[in-house]
Amino acid sequence: MKNIKATLLPEFVKLRRSGIFWITIIIFIIIPLMMGLMMFVAKNPAIAAKLGLVGTKSSLFGRNDWPGFMGLLLQSLASIGYIGFGFVTSWVFGREFSDRTLKDILALPVTRSSIVISKFIVIVIWCILLILVLFSTGLLMGWLLDIPGLSVQLFLRFSEKYFITSFLTILICTPVAFFACYGRGIIAPIGFLIISLVMAQFAGLIGLGPYFPWAIPGVYTAPAGTEGMQLFLSSYVILALTCILGFAGTIAWWRYADHY
Amino acid sequence: MDEIIRTENLSKQYGELLAVSDMSLNVRKGEIYGFLGLNGAGKTTTIRMLLGMIRPTSGSAFIDGKRVFADNHELWKIIGSLVEIPYSYPNLTVYENLEIILRLRFISDKGSINRVIDKLKLSSYRNIKARNLSLGNAQRLGLAKALIHNPEILILDEPTNGLDPAGIYEIRELLKVMAEKLGVTIFISSHILGEISRFATRIGIIHEGRLIQEVDTSQLDKLCRKRLLIDARDKQAVYSSLMQSGYSLSETKDGRFELLDEKAVRNPEVIATLMVHAGCPPTLLHVEEEDLESYFLRTIGIKEDLR
Repeated sequence: MKNIKATLLPEFVKLRRSGIFWITIIIFIIIPLMMGLMMFVAKNPAIAAKLGLVGTKSSLFGRNDWPGFMGLLLQSLASIGYIGFGFVTSWVFGREFSDRTLKDILALPVTRSSIVISKFIVIVIWCILLILVLFSTGLLMGWLLDIPGLSVQLFLRFSEKYFITSFLTILICTPVAFFACYGRGIIAPIGFLIISLVMAQFAGLIGLGPYFPWAIPGVYTAPAGTEGMQLFLSSYVILALTCILGFAGTIAWWRYADHY
Repeated sequence: MDEIIRTENLSKQYGELLAVSDMSLNVRKGEIYGFLGLNGAGKTTTIRMLLGMIRPTSGSAFIDGKRVFADNHELWKIIGSLVEIPYSYPNLTVYENLEIILRLRFISDKGSINRVIDKLKLSSYRNIKARNLSLGNAQRLGLAKALIHNPEILILDEPTNGLDPAGIYEIRELLKVMAEKLGVTIFISSHILGEISRFATRIGIIHEGRLIQEVDTSQLDKLCRKRLLIDARDKQAVYSSLMQSGYSLSETKDGRFELLDEKAVRNPEVIATLMVHAGCPPTLLHVEEEDLESYFLRTIGIKEDLR
């Protein structure tokens, strides 16, 4: 605990001083704003006709009511959320290599595992902030646009699904941290992020979504009864194992790899 | 315990490359041990093994009697280190960078930051972000991070890189005081013998991963070769007369003669007398001493001798 206390604050100082933190917050504000704009266009067919392509796109969003809008928020969380959280993870671990500061924190009295755990704590807190920003901005947009069909029951159901999806998405980011360390920078984890995202789409297409870790949060957001989009106990076990492997792999890398 | 740093047959292999081979050295308390070698000789790999950053392929390193390994983090409480070019968090100021190290070292006394800032003459840069520091000041910040906890042992990899001559002098004097007055043991690497011989008490020369020589700096002068260079108008007469007198001489590339015989080098006036008596007075009589760089290059086999 003493080690975690010592390593956590420096991680927060590094985060506070970085511009990237505020950039991610702004991006997670813009996403629901854009969705709100689309919903606004979908609600006003006269405007949609004038806007051409934007109008056409907005019609693809489905129903212009709260269930439709919340469905959009969930889908964006499962895909853009993973990109965002993965980027955050890449940055927190990868910058020690790109800034070449790693060697200065290895021969210190704190344990290396406590540094890794503190980095993961910072990532989780950062991701929770992004989750809350997306959630609150999305709901605010829906309220401002006066979208019809909101009920307490719908809100509670959506909130439960939204936060569980967020939790599942955070879990699949630990392997990104491992690739940031293994690749000694930010490029390798971003590459892994893109590949895992593409593979998740492919796994979903061929019906293996419930068994592919990076597709599981997306599968979870699918409406009940969608064919081939049900999660099983094994899905959650696969996801938990992926998270544990990523976490343990990252700690093992800090402990056993040669740092040259 | 007298031996503060000790390695036993330390080796590191990267694939086909044997970066460090069977390195066995020891550094005594209060000693300034200069670790000398060309770029790529294995200095940084050795230092990283001493700091637990690289696992040896075979052999072990011990500091203060304890074996070095990644999890032996208690060991780093008494050690300060600087490895190659020091990098700091670019968006943090000098003060914040030092504050982070202070926390990671479990030191609560924030006065340590100000003291080390003053010691390294960084006062006017304390609120400057690390990314805006010059190379020399970044190096000072790296040293400040190594010295902030008043370590008993310092392991420094080329600490004067990027410093101007005044900075090099200043750091040299600071390290000397730490070793002489505070008994700090210093292990310092460099590729410049002339620089390191000015303050190291002992020097280890590493070449192609092997420790090829260890020498007390007080002995360096004796190890540097000296020669007597002579010249005269009648070279044949000089050669014959000195050979007859029992001296061994050889011709240099520029047509002069050199005598490596200690008796000749110590008594050039005897050679001059002999030459005059032989009817070929010297036009040149000069005792030349090998400089430290030449000695270093000769030791590692790059420069055979002064010829």
